[in-house]
Amino acid sequence: MGAGTDNVPPFIAAQLSHLLSHSRLTLKVDQMWSSDKYNFGFIDRFTLLIPYCLDFIKWDIVYDAESPTTPPDVIFGPEDEHFHPFHMTPSFEPDDNIDSFLSDWNYKDPARLLALIQFLRDQYVLYQGKRVGEVDDDRLKFEVSTIVSREGLEMHMSSAADKSEEVKFAVPLLDININKMVSGCSWRQLQKIYLQVVYPVGRKYMSASSAPRLKLVSSSELKALYSIDDVKLPHWVDGMCLAEYLPNLEEYLGKQVLEAVSLIDVRRNFIEALAGWLGRPVEADPIFCRKATFLSASGVFTFLVHFLIPTQFPKQQPAIILQSSQHFNSQMAPMKSRPISDYPWSPRWEPSLMAERTCEFLADEALNFKRQCSEGQVQL
Amino acid sequence: MDDLPPLQKIAISGSTLASLIHRFSTTTSTSSIDGLLFGHVTYVTSLNLSDDSSETSQTLLATVTGFLASSSFRDTSGQINTSSLRRLIPNSTSLLGWFSGRRRTPLRPSLREFSITSSLSSLSQFSSSIKPSPISNSNSNPFPSSTTLSSLNFNPCLFFLLASPISDQTSHIHTHDYRAYQFLSGTHSFNPVSLDIINIGPAFRDHYGSFIPNSPFPALDCQLSYSPMVRDDDEERLSKMKQASKDQRELDACVEGLEVGKLSKLMGSEAKNYTQSLEDLYLKMLVKIENLTTLVEQSSARVLEQETHNKKLRQKIMRSAE
Repeated sequence: MGAGTDNVPPFIAAQLSHLLSHSRLTLKVDQMWSSDKYNFGFIDRFTLLIPYCLDFIKWDIVYDAESPTTPPDVIFGPEDEHFHPFHMTPSFEPDDNIDSFLSDWNYKDPARLLALIQFLRDQYVLYQGKRVGEVDDDRLKFEVSTIVSREGLEMHMSSAADKSEEVKFAVPLLDININKMVSGCSWRQLQKIYLQVVYPVGRKYMSASSAPRLKLVSSSELKALYSIDDVKLPHWVDGMCLAEYLPNLEEYLGKQVLEAVSLIDVRRNFIEALAGWLGRPVEADPIFCRKATFLSASGVFTFLVHFLIPTQFPKQQPAIILQSSQHFNSQMAPMKSRPISDYPWSPRWEPSLMAERTCEFLADEALNFKRQCSEGQVQL
Repeated sequence: MDDLPPLQKIAISGSTLASLIHRFSTTTSTSSIDGLLFGHVTYVTSLNLSDDSSETSQTLLATVTGFLASSSFRDTSGQINTSSLRRLIPNSTSLLGWFSGRRRTPLRPSLREFSITSSLSSLSQFSSSIKPSPISNSNSNPFPSSTTLSSLNFNPCLFFLLASPISDQTSHIHTHDYRAYQFLSGTHSFNPVSLDIINIGPAFRDHYGSFIPNSPFPALDCQLSYSPMVRDDDEERLSKMKQASKDQRELDACVEGLEVGKLSKLMGSEAKNYTQSLEDLYLKMLVKIENLTTLVEQSSARVLEQETHNKKLRQKIMRSAE
C-alpha cells in the first residue's frame, strides 16, 4: 500500500505490537494504510482479523496520526451494524466502561489497544449469544441450553443477505489442558479441539430432527501432536441432540489424545535407538519428536539423513530424505532425495530392531543416492 | 420521542452539501472532521389516493440548512459537553444533529460515532419544535391530531457520515461518499434515511413554498441612545456604543448617501435620475463583492499554506520525540 510499514507512528506501532504478541488469540493485521489522501503520510489505519467462532471477524481500527492523544475508533463489520459494545442491554453503567477505556486514554501505554480489543471481543461474544437466543426455534433453544455452560463456547448468527440464516456453534471439546500433557511444549496458545455445529434456522419446513452440519476443527499447532483430519465423526442418528452426541465423541477424542501423547515417547525411543547407529542427531525436535537429522557417511561421501516421523508412528513408518553435503543443483541448493517411505518396516518391531533395519536399508540407499548425485550434477 | 412519526427523508440544499463536502475534503490538519448540523423539521402529509379510500399519513421532513465544523462539543472519548454545545448553537437556530467526516474509512458508523449520536439524541434540552406542514396549514381543516403532534419535539438525532474510500490512491479523482441516518432511541439503532438534494428546477418547486429564511439580518444595534436603567458598567456601555457606531458607519459606507429617506425620490419626476444612481450603487456593490471573494480566496490559500506548514512541524516533533 504505497507507504512502507516503517511509516507507522511509534505510539501506534508500540500498541499494535503489544496487541499481537500478548493477545491470547492469534490476531492478524489484514492491511494497513494511511489516512492521507495521497497515502504518503503516517500509517494510522489497519484492519484486524480477530478469530471468532472458528472464523475471523474484521474490525477496522482508526487512529489519527496527527493527534496521538485521541483514542482509536473502531468500525465493525458490515454484518454487525447492531453491535454496540458500550450500549448493550441488559448492561452495566455504560459510562464506567467508556471511562476506563477511552476517557483516560494514555497513548504512551502500549497495553491500551490490547485491553480495548479484548473488552470489545468479550462484548461481541455476549452480543452474538444474545442474537442466537432471540432466534425463534425450539430445537435450537434446547440445544443451546445443553451446551451453554461449556466454557469457551462461541456462537454466531450469520445473517448476510445473500446467505440463508444459520446459527454456528464452536463447541470446545475435552475439558483437559493438552498443553500441560506435553512436557516442555512451547505452545503459547491453549490447544483445543472444537466441534463446529451449523444449524440452518428459519426454515420451518425442514425436518426437525435432521442432522446439523458437523466438522472437527483444532488449533493449527495441535497438528504436531495429533491430526484431527483422520477422525471419522460418529454418525448422527435421526432425532439426536448434541447432549447425546457430544459425550461419545469426547470419550473417543480423549482416548485419541492420550494415545497421541504416549506416542511421543515411542518416537523418542526410536530416535534414541537411531543414535546408537548414526551417532548424536545434528538436529532433533525434542518436544514432539517429529523430526531428527543425522550426519552420516558412506566412505568419503557425507550426507544428512532427515527423518520425518508421522503422528501415527509406529503404525506409519517415517519418511526419510537424504541430503548430500557435497552435491548441489543448478540453483546451488544441496541435492536431496525424494521422501522415501517404502523400506522394510513392521510396527511390531522393537525400537532397536526398527533402527537396525532402517540403517541397513540406509547403507544400500546411500550408494544409490551418491550415484544419482554424481550423474549430471554440479559437484564441488 | 418514540411517538414521533419517522423521518421520511432529509433535505439539504446542493450548496450546503457541497460546502460540507468541500470542508471535509480540504481539511489537511487532521484526517477527520466533525461538527453540528442545523435546520428545521416539518410535518409532511402524504396522500395515498386509491379507489376505495384516501389515507393521509404523517411523516417528517428534516431540512438541513447549515453546519458548523467544530468538535469542541465533545471530548475525544465521545462524551458531550453540553455547555460548549450550547455556545456553538447560534440564536434562533435549531440543532438537528451532527456530522462526521473521516478519510479513507468504510462508510459505516463507528464505535465513537454511535456513542456521540446516542448521547446527542438523548439531549431533549436541545430539541427543536416541529413546524406544521405548509399544506395542512392552508387547509381549512387541519388533521385532528395536529395539536398533540406539534407539542412533540425533535431531538438532535440526525447523523451525516462522510467518508472517502480506502482504495482511492491511484486515481486523481477524489471520491466522497456520504450517508444520512436518523438515530432511533427506542431501538438504539441507526436508521438510514434518504437524502434529498434540493436544486433549482420544477421538481423542487414545493420547497419555494415552504421556504423559511435561515439567515436573519444580523442583529446590529445601531441605537446610540441607551436605556438609562442600565448603568452598572460604564466601560461595557461605552464599548457597546462604540461598536454600534462602528456598525452604523459600515452600513452607511455600503449605501453611500442613499439613505432610506431618499426612497421617496423613487416616485415622481426625479425617479428617472434616481434609478440611475441606484444602478450605480448596485454596480459598486458588485465590484465590492468581487473584491471580497478574491480576498477570501487569497486568505484560504494562506490558511492552507499555514496548515501544511503546521502539519510538517507536528510530524517533525513526533519524529524527534520518540
